[in-house]
Amino acid sequence: MAEDVKIVGFCCNWCCYGGADTAGTARMQYPPNVRIIRVMCSGRINPSLIFKAFREGADGVFVGGCHIGDCHYDAGNYKWNRRALITKAIIKEFGIDEERFRFEWISASEGENSKEQ
Amino acid sequence: MSENYVLAKSSEAAITENGACGGAVSSIFQYLLANDIVDGVLTLSKGEDVYDGIPRFVTDPAEILETCGSLHCAPTMVADLVSKYLSDKRVAVATKPCDAKGINELVKRHRIDPEKIITVGLNCGGTVIPETAQQMIEKFYDVDPSKVVKEEIDKGQFIIELEDGSEKGIKIDDLEEQGYGRRTNCQRCNLKVPRNADIACGKWGSEPGWTFIEINSEKGQEIVDGAKSEGFIETKGPSEKAIEIRSKVEGIMIKMGKRFQNTQFEDNYLSAEEWKEQWNKCIKCFACRDVCPICWCNECELEKEYFKDSEDSAPDPLGFQGVRLSHMSFSCINCGQCEDVCPMEIPVSKIYHKLQCVYNDLTGYEAGLGDEKPPLYSPQKENF
Repeated sequence: MAEDVKIVGFCCNWCCYGGADTAGTARMQYPPNVRIIRVMCSGRINPSLIFKAFREGADGVFVGGCHIGDCHYDAGNYKWNRRALITKAIIKEFGIDEERFRFEWISASEGENSKEQ
Repeated sequence: MSENYVLAKSSEAAITENGACGGAVSSIFQYLLANDIVDGVLTLSKGEDVYDGIPRFVTDPAEILETCGSLHCAPTMVADLVSKYLSDKRVAVATKPCDAKGINELVKRHRIDPEKIITVGLNCGGTVIPETAQQMIEKFYDVDPSKVVKEEIDKGQFIIELEDGSEKGIKIDDLEEQGYGRRTNCQRCNLKVPRNADIACGKWGSEPGWTFIEINSEKGQEIVDGAKSEGFIETKGPSEKAIEIRSKVEGIMIKMGKRFQNTQFEDNYLSAEEWKEQWNKCIKCFACRDVCPICWCNECELEKEYFKDSEDSAPDPLGFQGVRLSHMSFSCINCGQCEDVCPMEIPVSKIYHKLQCVYNDLTGYEAGLGDEKPPLYSPQKENF
Protein backbone atom coordinates (compact mmCIF):
# COMPACT_ATOMS: atom_id res chain seq x y z
CA MET A 1 0.00 0.00 0.00
CA ALA A 2 1.29 3.43 -0.91
CA GLU A 3 2.44 5.40 2.12
CA ASP A 4 0.72 8.67 1.33
CA VAL A 5 -2.76 7.25 1.08
CA LYS A 6 -5.19 8.37 3.75
CA ILE A 7 -7.96 6.08 4.77
CA VAL A 8 -10.66 6.84 7.28
CA GLY A 9 -12.00 3.77 8.97
CA PHE A 10 -15.23 3.87 10.92
CA CYS A 11 -15.30 0.91 13.24
CA CYS A 12 -18.12 -0.43 15.31
CA ASN A 13 -17.19 -0.53 18.99
CA TRP A 14 -18.37 -4.09 19.47
CA CYS A 15 -16.93 -5.91 16.52
CA CYS A 16 -14.63 -4.15 14.13
CA TYR A 17 -12.93 -1.96 16.73
CA GLY A 18 -12.52 -5.00 18.90
CA GLY A 19 -11.11 -6.76 15.86
CA ALA A 20 -8.55 -4.01 15.33
CA ASP A 21 -7.70 -4.27 19.00
CA THR A 22 -7.18 -8.01 18.69
CA ALA A 23 -4.90 -7.35 15.75
CA GLY A 24 -2.97 -4.93 17.95
CA THR A 25 -2.59 -7.25 20.93
CA ALA A 26 -1.55 -10.04 18.63
CA ARG A 27 1.08 -7.62 17.29
CA MET A 28 -0.12 -8.04 13.76
CA GLN A 29 1.11 -5.41 11.36
CA TYR A 30 -1.47 -3.16 9.86
CA PRO A 31 -1.04 -0.17 7.59
CA PRO A 32 -0.31 3.09 9.45
CA ASN A 33 -2.39 5.20 7.14
CA VAL A 34 -5.73 4.02 8.38
CA ARG A 35 -7.24 6.53 10.80
CA ILE A 36 -9.69 4.63 12.87
CA ILE A 37 -12.74 6.34 14.29
CA ARG A 38 -14.66 4.36 16.84
CA VAL A 39 -18.43 4.57 16.67
CA MET A 40 -20.85 2.72 18.89
CA CYS A 41 -22.59 1.00 16.00
CA SER A 42 -22.40 0.98 12.24
CA GLY A 43 -26.03 2.04 12.42
CA ARG A 44 -24.77 5.39 13.64
CA ILE A 45 -23.05 6.08 10.33
CA ASN A 46 -24.97 8.12 7.84
CA PRO A 47 -24.02 9.05 4.30
CA SER A 48 -23.09 12.57 5.41
CA LEU A 49 -20.19 11.21 7.47
CA ILE A 50 -18.83 9.41 4.46
CA PHE A 51 -19.22 12.48 2.26
CA LYS A 52 -17.55 14.63 4.86
CA ALA A 53 -14.59 12.26 4.97
CA PHE A 54 -14.19 12.44 1.20
CA ARG A 55 -14.63 16.18 1.28
CA GLU A 56 -11.84 16.54 3.80
CA GLY A 57 -9.54 14.69 1.48
CA ALA A 58 -9.75 11.04 2.46
CA ASP A 59 -8.56 8.74 -0.29
CA GLY A 60 -10.68 5.94 0.99
CA VAL A 61 -13.42 5.39 3.50
CA PHE A 62 -13.99 2.11 5.23
CA VAL A 63 -16.85 1.13 7.48
CA GLY A 64 -16.72 -2.00 9.56
CA GLY A 65 -19.73 -3.35 11.35
CA CYS A 66 -20.82 -6.56 13.02
CA HIS A 67 -21.80 -9.55 10.99
CA ILE A 68 -25.42 -9.51 9.94
CA GLY A 69 -27.41 -10.92 12.84
CA ASP A 70 -24.73 -10.13 15.43
CA CYS A 71 -25.49 -6.45 16.02
CA HIS A 72 -25.13 -5.42 19.64
CA TYR A 73 -28.16 -3.19 19.15
CA ASP A 74 -30.15 -5.80 17.31
CA ALA A 75 -30.56 -4.22 13.88
CA GLY A 76 -28.06 -1.38 13.51
CA ASN A 77 -26.05 -3.05 10.81
CA TYR A 78 -29.14 -3.75 8.73
CA LYS A 79 -29.90 -0.06 8.81
CA TRP A 80 -26.36 0.82 7.84
CA ASN A 81 -26.48 -1.72 5.06
CA ARG A 82 -29.48 0.05 3.57
CA ARG A 83 -27.75 3.41 3.85
CA ALA A 84 -24.51 2.03 2.44
CA LEU A 85 -26.36 0.97 -0.66
CA ILE A 86 -27.54 4.47 -1.46
CA THR A 87 -24.22 5.99 -0.39
CA LYS A 88 -22.49 3.86 -2.95
CA ALA A 89 -24.93 4.90 -5.65
CA ILE A 90 -24.46 8.56 -4.81
CA ILE A 91 -20.67 8.71 -4.73
CA LYS A 92 -20.65 7.04 -8.11
CA GLU A 93 -22.63 9.97 -9.49
CA PHE A 94 -19.97 12.38 -8.30
CA GLY A 95 -17.14 10.65 -10.06
CA ILE A 96 -15.68 8.89 -7.05
CA ASP A 97 -14.44 5.42 -7.74
CA GLU A 98 -16.61 2.86 -5.96
CA GLU A 99 -13.46 1.14 -4.81
CA ARG A 100 -12.71 4.05 -2.53
CA PHE A 101 -15.68 3.30 -0.36
CA ARG A 102 -15.92 -0.04 1.36
CA PHE A 103 -18.02 -1.57 4.05
CA GLU A 104 -17.56 -4.95 5.56
CA TRP A 105 -18.69 -7.11 8.43
CA ILE A 106 -15.89 -8.01 10.79
CA SER A 107 -16.15 -9.66 14.19
CA ALA A 108 -13.91 -9.05 17.20
CA SER A 109 -12.15 -12.36 16.84
CA GLU A 110 -11.07 -11.70 13.29
CA GLY A 111 -7.82 -9.76 13.50
CA GLU A 112 -9.06 -7.51 10.76
CA ASN A 113 -7.09 -6.32 7.82
CA SER A 114 -7.05 -6.24 4.06
CA LYS A 115 -7.92 -2.67 3.26
CA GLU A 116 -7.89 -0.95 -0.06
CA GLN A 117 -5.25 -0.89 -2.70
CA MET B 1 -61.96 -3.77 -12.28
CA SER B 2 -64.56 -2.13 -14.48
CA GLU B 3 -66.69 -1.09 -11.51
CA ASN B 4 -63.90 1.31 -10.62
CA TYR B 5 -64.50 3.27 -13.78
CA VAL B 6 -67.26 5.76 -14.14
CA LEU B 7 -68.16 8.55 -16.53
CA ALA B 8 -69.43 11.68 -14.83
CA LYS B 9 -70.57 15.15 -15.68
CA SER B 10 -71.74 18.12 -13.74
CA SER B 11 -75.46 18.58 -13.30
CA GLU B 12 -75.05 22.32 -13.42
CA ALA B 13 -74.92 23.85 -16.89
CA ALA B 14 -72.64 26.73 -15.88
CA ILE B 15 -69.92 24.34 -14.82
CA THR B 16 -70.23 22.08 -17.81
CA GLU B 17 -69.51 25.05 -20.05
CA ASN B 18 -66.63 26.40 -18.02
CA GLY B 19 -64.86 23.31 -16.78
CA ALA B 20 -62.78 20.94 -18.82
CA CYS B 21 -64.82 18.04 -20.23
CA GLY B 22 -67.93 17.76 -18.17
CA GLY B 23 -66.81 19.71 -15.13
CA ALA B 24 -67.24 16.72 -12.84
CA VAL B 25 -64.21 17.77 -10.81
CA SER B 26 -65.65 21.19 -10.06
CA SER B 27 -68.97 19.67 -9.06
CA ILE B 28 -67.30 17.17 -6.78
CA PHE B 29 -65.48 20.04 -5.09
CA GLN B 30 -68.77 21.90 -4.70
CA TYR B 31 -70.35 18.82 -3.20
CA LEU B 32 -67.50 18.47 -0.70
CA LEU B 33 -67.75 22.12 0.33
CA ALA B 34 -71.53 22.30 0.44
CA ASN B 35 -71.78 19.23 2.65
CA ASP B 36 -68.97 20.38 4.94
CA ILE B 37 -66.89 17.33 4.20
CA VAL B 38 -63.89 19.61 3.80
CA ASP B 39 -63.04 23.09 5.09
CA GLY B 40 -61.69 24.16 1.77
CA VAL B 41 -60.43 23.19 -1.63
CA LEU B 42 -56.92 23.87 -2.82
CA THR B 43 -56.88 24.34 -6.53
CA LEU B 44 -55.37 26.44 -9.25
CA SER B 45 -56.93 29.57 -10.56
CA LYS B 46 -55.95 31.51 -13.60
CA GLY B 47 -53.81 34.55 -12.99
CA GLU B 48 -53.24 37.17 -15.64
CA ASP B 49 -53.16 34.75 -18.53
CA VAL B 50 -52.90 31.03 -19.28
CA TYR B 51 -49.23 31.08 -18.28
CA ASP B 52 -49.99 32.14 -14.76
CA GLY B 53 -51.53 29.71 -12.30
CA ILE B 54 -52.12 30.75 -8.73
CA PRO B 55 -52.81 28.14 -6.05
CA ARG B 56 -55.95 29.19 -4.27
CA PHE B 57 -57.70 27.93 -1.17
CA VAL B 58 -61.42 28.15 -1.86
CA THR B 59 -63.93 27.89 0.96
CA ASP B 60 -67.06 29.11 -0.80
CA PRO B 61 -68.70 26.62 -3.21
CA ALA B 62 -69.72 29.45 -5.52
CA GLU B 63 -66.09 30.45 -6.06
CA ILE B 64 -65.18 27.05 -7.44
CA LEU B 65 -66.45 28.26 -10.79
CA GLU B 66 -63.60 30.73 -11.01
CA THR B 67 -61.02 27.99 -10.88
CA CYS B 68 -62.22 25.69 -13.64
CA GLY B 69 -60.02 24.51 -16.45
CA SER B 70 -56.55 23.11 -16.77
CA LEU B 71 -53.32 25.04 -16.95
CA HIS B 72 -50.48 23.12 -18.56
CA CYS B 73 -48.20 26.11 -18.75
CA ALA B 74 -48.16 26.87 -15.06
CA PRO B 75 -46.39 24.04 -13.28
CA THR B 76 -47.01 24.11 -9.55
CA MET B 77 -46.54 21.79 -6.61
CA VAL B 78 -49.24 21.64 -3.98
CA ALA B 79 -47.95 18.92 -1.64
CA ASP B 80 -45.76 21.22 0.43
CA LEU B 81 -48.45 23.91 0.45
CA VAL B 82 -50.77 21.47 2.17
CA SER B 83 -48.21 20.40 4.74
CA LYS B 84 -46.90 23.89 5.46
CA TYR B 85 -50.01 26.00 5.51
CA LEU B 86 -53.10 23.82 5.59
CA SER B 87 -52.17 21.04 7.97
CA ASP B 88 -54.84 22.02 10.49
CA LYS B 89 -57.66 21.98 7.94
CA ARG B 90 -59.61 19.32 6.15
CA VAL B 91 -58.78 19.89 2.53
CA ALA B 92 -59.65 18.55 -0.84
CA VAL B 93 -57.00 19.17 -3.41
CA ALA B 94 -56.73 18.88 -7.16
CA THR B 95 -53.53 17.03 -7.93
CA LYS B 96 -51.39 16.12 -10.86
CA PRO B 97 -49.82 12.68 -10.50
CA CYS B 98 -46.64 14.21 -9.08
CA ASP B 99 -48.62 16.30 -6.58
CA ALA B 100 -50.35 13.13 -5.44
CA LYS B 101 -46.94 11.45 -5.14
CA GLY B 102 -45.69 14.35 -3.05
CA ILE B 103 -48.70 14.14 -0.76
CA ASN B 104 -48.20 10.40 -0.46
CA GLU B 105 -44.55 10.86 0.55
CA LEU B 106 -45.44 13.56 3.07
CA VAL B 107 -48.13 11.34 4.57
CA LYS B 108 -45.44 8.68 5.03
CA ARG B 109 -43.35 11.32 6.80
CA HIS B 110 -46.27 12.31 9.05
CA ARG B 111 -46.38 15.81 7.62
CA ILE B 112 -49.90 15.43 6.28
CA ASP B 113 -52.73 13.69 8.07
CA PRO B 114 -54.25 11.20 5.62
CA GLU B 115 -57.60 11.49 7.44
CA LYS B 116 -57.83 15.16 6.59
CA ILE B 117 -57.01 15.14 2.93
CA ILE B 118 -58.95 14.17 -0.15
CA THR B 119 -56.98 14.04 -3.36
CA VAL B 120 -58.77 14.50 -6.63
CA GLY B 121 -56.25 13.46 -9.24
CA LEU B 122 -56.13 14.85 -12.74
CA ASN B 123 -54.58 12.91 -15.58
CA CYS B 124 -51.53 14.69 -16.81
CA GLY B 125 -49.58 14.44 -20.01
CA GLY B 126 -46.97 16.91 -18.87
CA THR B 127 -46.50 20.58 -18.19
CA VAL B 128 -44.63 23.36 -19.94
CA ILE B 129 -42.56 26.14 -18.42
CA PRO B 130 -44.42 29.42 -19.00
CA GLU B 131 -41.47 31.15 -20.68
CA THR B 132 -40.83 28.18 -22.95
CA ALA B 133 -44.52 28.06 -23.83
CA GLN B 134 -44.57 31.70 -24.83
CA GLN B 135 -41.40 31.46 -26.93
CA MET B 136 -42.66 28.29 -28.53
CA ILE B 137 -46.05 29.75 -29.41
CA GLU B 138 -44.40 32.74 -30.99
CA LYS B 139 -41.86 30.72 -32.92
CA PHE B 140 -43.77 27.67 -34.10
CA TYR B 141 -47.39 28.78 -34.06
CA ASP B 142 -46.72 32.29 -35.27
CA VAL B 143 -49.21 33.58 -32.76
CA ASP B 144 -49.01 36.31 -30.18
CA PRO B 145 -48.80 34.36 -26.88
CA SER B 146 -51.09 36.81 -25.12
CA LYS B 147 -53.89 35.97 -27.58
CA VAL B 148 -54.05 32.37 -26.43
CA VAL B 149 -57.08 31.69 -24.25
CA LYS B 150 -56.72 27.99 -23.71
CA GLU B 151 -54.12 25.30 -24.21
CA GLU B 152 -54.36 21.56 -24.23
CA ILE B 153 -52.14 18.53 -24.61
CA ASP B 154 -53.99 15.87 -26.52
CA LYS B 155 -53.24 13.05 -28.94
CA GLY B 156 -49.54 13.84 -28.91
CA GLN B 157 -50.15 17.45 -29.82
CA PHE B 158 -49.82 20.72 -27.99
CA ILE B 159 -52.96 22.58 -28.96
CA ILE B 160 -53.69 26.24 -28.42
CA GLU B 161 -57.06 27.94 -28.72
CA LEU B 162 -57.31 31.57 -29.73
CA GLU B 163 -59.81 34.24 -28.79
CA ASP B 164 -61.77 33.69 -31.98
CA GLY B 165 -62.20 30.01 -31.18
CA SER B 166 -59.75 28.70 -33.76
CA GLU B 167 -57.37 25.95 -32.73
CA LYS B 168 -53.83 25.17 -33.74
CA GLY B 169 -51.87 22.06 -32.83
CA ILE B 170 -48.30 20.91 -33.37
CA LYS B 171 -46.89 17.51 -32.51
CA ILE B 172 -45.12 17.55 -29.18
CA ASP B 173 -42.38 15.28 -30.50
CA ASP B 174 -41.44 17.87 -33.10
CA LEU B 175 -41.39 20.63 -30.51
CA GLU B 176 -39.32 18.61 -28.10
CA GLU B 177 -36.79 17.66 -30.71
CA GLN B 178 -35.95 21.33 -30.95
CA GLY B 179 -35.66 21.83 -27.24
CA TYR B 180 -39.14 23.18 -26.60
CA GLY B 181 -42.25 21.40 -25.39
CA ARG B 182 -42.75 19.86 -22.01
CA ARG B 183 -40.40 20.17 -19.08
CA THR B 184 -37.69 17.54 -19.18
CA ASN B 185 -38.90 15.88 -15.99
CA CYS B 186 -42.40 15.64 -17.48
CA GLN B 187 -40.90 13.98 -20.54
CA ARG B 188 -39.41 11.33 -18.26
CA CYS B 189 -42.54 10.87 -16.17
CA ASN B 190 -44.21 7.48 -16.25
CA LEU B 191 -47.22 8.16 -14.05
CA LYS B 192 -49.90 9.75 -16.16
CA VAL B 193 -53.00 8.59 -14.35
CA PRO B 194 -52.77 9.42 -10.64
CA ARG B 195 -53.81 6.07 -9.20
CA ASN B 196 -52.27 7.19 -5.91
CA ALA B 197 -55.01 9.80 -5.51
CA ASP B 198 -58.50 8.98 -4.25
CA ILE B 199 -59.99 9.46 -7.68
CA ALA B 200 -58.28 10.02 -11.01
CA CYS B 201 -60.17 12.21 -13.45
CA GLY B 202 -59.49 13.02 -17.04
CA LYS B 203 -60.81 13.01 -20.51
CA TRP B 204 -58.90 10.09 -21.99
CA GLY B 205 -61.51 7.59 -23.08
CA SER B 206 -64.42 9.82 -22.19
CA GLU B 207 -67.19 11.04 -24.46
CA PRO B 208 -67.50 14.75 -25.22
CA GLY B 209 -69.01 16.50 -22.24
CA TRP B 210 -68.12 13.74 -19.79
CA THR B 211 -65.23 13.18 -17.42
CA PHE B 212 -63.69 9.75 -17.09
CA ILE B 213 -63.15 8.92 -13.43
CA GLU B 214 -61.17 6.06 -12.03
CA ILE B 215 -61.90 5.35 -8.37
CA ASN B 216 -58.81 4.29 -6.47
CA SER B 217 -59.85 4.15 -2.84
CA GLU B 218 -62.82 3.66 -0.56
CA LYS B 219 -62.79 7.35 0.16
CA GLY B 220 -62.96 8.02 -3.55
CA GLN B 221 -65.95 5.72 -3.90
CA GLU B 222 -67.76 7.50 -1.05
CA ILE B 223 -67.18 10.88 -2.65
CA VAL B 224 -68.46 9.87 -6.06
CA ASP B 225 -71.49 8.10 -4.55
CA GLY B 226 -72.19 11.09 -2.31
CA ALA B 227 -71.89 13.65 -5.09
CA LYS B 228 -74.23 11.54 -7.19
CA SER B 229 -76.91 11.08 -4.56
CA GLU B 230 -76.81 14.78 -3.67
CA GLY B 231 -77.38 15.58 -7.33
CA PHE B 232 -74.10 17.33 -8.05
CA ILE B 233 -73.01 14.96 -10.78
CA GLU B 234 -74.62 12.52 -13.16
CA THR B 235 -72.82 9.29 -13.81
CA LYS B 236 -72.91 6.38 -16.20
CA GLY B 237 -70.74 3.40 -16.88
CA PRO B 238 -68.14 3.75 -19.62
CA SER B 239 -68.24 1.44 -22.60
CA GLU B 240 -65.64 -1.30 -23.06
CA LYS B 241 -64.26 0.68 -25.94
CA ALA B 242 -63.80 3.80 -23.84
CA ILE B 243 -61.79 1.88 -21.29
CA GLU B 244 -59.72 0.40 -24.04
CA ILE B 245 -59.01 3.79 -25.59
CA ARG B 246 -58.03 5.17 -22.23
CA SER B 247 -55.59 2.42 -21.42
CA LYS B 248 -54.16 2.73 -24.90
CA VAL B 249 -53.53 6.46 -24.52
CA GLU B 250 -51.97 5.84 -21.13
CA GLY B 251 -49.85 3.03 -22.52
CA ILE B 252 -48.47 5.23 -25.27
CA MET B 253 -47.68 8.02 -22.83
CA ILE B 254 -45.89 5.68 -20.44
CA LYS B 255 -43.90 4.18 -23.26
CA MET B 256 -42.85 7.66 -24.30
CA GLY B 257 -41.82 8.41 -20.72
CA LYS B 258 -39.71 5.27 -20.56
CA ARG B 259 -38.07 6.15 -23.84
CA PHE B 260 -37.20 9.60 -22.58
CA GLN B 261 -35.81 8.08 -19.40
CA ASN B 262 -33.49 5.98 -21.49
CA THR B 263 -32.30 8.82 -23.67
CA GLN B 264 -31.91 11.28 -20.81
CA PHE B 265 -30.30 8.90 -18.34
CA GLU B 266 -28.12 6.93 -20.68
CA ASP B 267 -27.54 8.31 -24.15
CA ASN B 268 -27.58 12.00 -23.32
CA TYR B 269 -26.60 11.79 -19.67
CA LEU B 270 -24.04 14.31 -18.54
CA SER B 271 -20.51 13.02 -18.16
CA ALA B 272 -18.60 13.39 -14.91
CA GLU B 273 -16.80 16.37 -16.42
CA GLU B 274 -20.01 18.04 -17.49
CA TRP B 275 -21.52 17.52 -14.08
CA LYS B 276 -18.46 19.09 -12.50
CA GLU B 277 -18.96 22.11 -14.68
CA GLN B 278 -22.61 22.27 -13.70
CA TRP B 279 -21.87 22.00 -9.97
CA ASN B 280 -19.32 24.78 -10.30
CA LYS B 281 -22.16 27.10 -11.27
CA CYS B 282 -23.92 26.52 -7.95
CA ILE B 283 -24.30 29.67 -5.87
CA LYS B 284 -25.67 27.76 -2.88
CA CYS B 285 -28.93 29.70 -2.73
CA PHE B 286 -30.73 26.66 -1.28
CA ALA B 287 -33.64 27.22 -3.65
CA CYS B 288 -33.67 23.57 -4.69
CA ARG B 289 -33.88 22.51 -1.06
CA ASP B 290 -36.51 25.07 -0.14
CA VAL B 291 -38.80 24.17 -3.00
CA CYS B 292 -38.44 20.41 -2.64
CA PRO B 293 -41.71 18.96 -1.36
CA ILE B 294 -39.90 16.02 0.23
CA CYS B 295 -37.40 18.14 2.19
CA TRP B 296 -39.06 19.34 5.36
CA CYS B 297 -36.53 19.21 8.25
CA ASN B 298 -36.69 22.22 10.53
CA GLU B 299 -32.96 22.11 11.00
CA CYS B 300 -31.20 21.34 7.77
CA GLU B 301 -27.97 19.46 7.95
CA LEU B 302 -26.62 21.52 5.08
CA GLU B 303 -26.51 24.56 7.32
CA LYS B 304 -24.58 22.80 10.05
CA GLU B 305 -21.16 24.12 10.91
CA TYR B 306 -19.36 21.06 9.58
CA PHE B 307 -20.76 21.49 6.10
CA LYS B 308 -19.99 25.21 5.80
CA ASP B 309 -18.04 26.07 2.68
CA SER B 310 -16.02 29.17 2.06
CA GLU B 311 -18.22 31.96 0.77
CA ASP B 312 -16.37 32.63 -2.45
CA SER B 313 -16.41 29.27 -4.13
CA ALA B 314 -19.04 26.83 -5.29
CA PRO B 315 -19.93 24.30 -2.61
CA ASP B 316 -18.41 20.86 -2.69
CA PRO B 317 -20.93 18.88 -4.74
CA LEU B 318 -20.72 15.83 -2.51
CA GLY B 319 -21.13 17.92 0.62
CA PHE B 320 -24.11 19.78 -0.77
CA GLN B 321 -26.03 17.89 -3.43
CA GLY B 322 -24.65 14.60 -2.13
CA VAL B 323 -26.12 15.21 1.29
CA ARG B 324 -29.42 16.30 -0.21
CA LEU B 325 -29.41 13.21 -2.39
CA SER B 326 -28.81 10.95 0.57
CA HIS B 327 -31.69 12.58 2.42
CA MET B 328 -34.39 12.46 -0.19
CA SER B 329 -33.38 11.05 -3.57
CA PHE B 330 -34.92 7.65 -2.76
CA SER B 331 -38.23 9.48 -2.44
CA CYS B 332 -37.78 11.86 -5.37
CA ILE B 333 -41.15 12.26 -7.04
CA ASN B 334 -39.69 13.85 -10.17
CA CYS B 335 -41.76 17.03 -9.87
CA GLY B 336 -38.94 19.02 -11.44
CA GLN B 337 -39.37 22.00 -9.11
CA CYS B 338 -35.67 22.03 -8.15
CA GLU B 339 -34.68 22.46 -11.74
CA ASP B 340 -37.34 25.11 -12.36
CA VAL B 341 -36.19 27.34 -9.53
CA CYS B 342 -32.45 26.95 -10.00
CA PRO B 343 -31.17 30.42 -10.90
CA MET B 344 -28.06 28.90 -12.47
CA GLU B 345 -30.05 26.43 -14.55
CA ILE B 346 -28.31 23.34 -13.28
CA PRO B 347 -30.29 20.26 -14.41
CA VAL B 348 -30.66 19.07 -10.82
CA SER B 349 -33.85 17.09 -11.22
CA LYS B 350 -32.02 14.74 -13.56
CA ILE B 351 -29.66 13.44 -10.90
CA TYR B 352 -32.40 13.17 -8.28
CA HIS B 353 -34.76 11.28 -10.52
CA LYS B 354 -31.93 9.07 -11.75
CA LEU B 355 -31.02 8.15 -8.20
CA GLN B 356 -34.63 7.29 -7.43
CA CYS B 357 -34.65 5.04 -10.49
CA VAL B 358 -31.42 3.41 -9.32
CA TYR B 359 -32.93 2.97 -5.87
CA ASN B 360 -36.05 1.53 -7.43
CA ASP B 361 -33.93 -1.03 -9.27
CA LEU B 362 -32.08 -1.93 -6.09
CA THR B 363 -35.00 -2.20 -3.72
CA GLY B 364 -38.19 -2.05 -5.74
CA TYR B 365 -39.32 1.10 -3.98
CA GLU B 366 -41.10 3.56 -6.24
CA ALA B 367 -41.55 6.98 -4.67
CA GLY B 368 -45.03 8.28 -4.02
CA LEU B 369 -47.00 5.09 -4.53
CA GLY B 370 -48.54 2.68 -2.06
CA ASP B 371 -48.53 2.75 1.73
CA GLU B 372 -45.10 1.35 2.33
CA LYS B 373 -42.38 3.64 3.58
CA PRO B 374 -39.02 3.85 1.85
CA PRO B 375 -36.94 0.83 2.90
CA LEU B 376 -34.34 3.26 4.24
CA TYR B 377 -36.72 4.06 7.10
CA SER B 378 -37.63 0.49 7.78
CA PRO B 379 -36.67 -0.98 11.16
CA GLN B 380 -36.98 -4.47 9.71
CA LYS B 381 -34.11 -6.91 9.67
CA GLU B 382 -33.93 -7.57 6.01
CA ASN B 383 -31.20 -7.35 3.47
CA PHE B 384 -31.06 -6.27 -0.10
